[in-house]
Amino acid sequence: MAQHDVEITISRTGDVKVHVKGAQGKACLEYAKWLTKVIGKVKDQQMTSEFYEPEVKARIDLHQDLRVKDDET
Amino acid sequence: MSTVLILAPVIISSWPAIAAAAAGAASALGFTVKQAAQEALQQDKKTHDTIENVELELANSEVLAQSLATDQRIVLTKGSTQIVVERDARGRCKVCASGKGLSKTQLEQTAEQFTQKLTQCFIYDKVMRELKSKSFQVVNEEVMQDESIRIHVRRWVD
Repeated sequence: MAQHDVEITISRTGDVKVHVKGAQGKACLEYAKWLTKVIGKVKDQQMTSEFYEPEVKARIDLHQDLRVKDDET
Repeated sequence: MSTVLILAPVIISSWPAIAAAAAGAASALGFTVKQAAQEALQQDKKTHDTIENVELELANSEVLAQSLATDQRIVLTKGSTQIVVERDARGRCKVCASGKGLSKTQLEQTAEQFTQKLTQCFIYDKVMRELKSKSFQVVNEEVMQDESIRIHVRRWVD
């Protein structure tokens, strides 16, 4: 199992810094896209070296979890 | 490390969520929610000419209209300072600070400080709700010296 960590810092002015750790490539972009949708507009984005590492899995599907939950209900 | 994002908050929500954030901000800044909102506003209108007041609009905000929604306004007080948070005619969230014996600059600072705290509370509530819905576990959560809130969450993926 892969461990994905997210550090979110909400400044006193409301600006938000999101640091996604442990997710590579598309998985990382999935998190970034989701959190942007939740919070607001992108002011800046920096990819770090891990982003370019080969992915263990093609994608972590945030939507997949939602579908599973929907099926259960 | 993978990616670092800097995001500007956008507040688009229904009135109850914004009112909850306003109450949270009020509590953090030592304001109390005044129950008799209408009464306070009528009183405020009577003394409007003698009391300085400042209006501030929340950037990137939209209060979603609800059918038959009324009372989309919250009145907060701290000493002689009064803050009114309300949905304006265009659907934006507006913060109005007034107070006897306070200068325009002081009121602007108060309104600005309150607006920032409201935004922080709103984003915190929204982010935590979304993280929990996606099965993230909170590893650590702390308020830093600069009043920022740091949340560390984790998720295990197959």
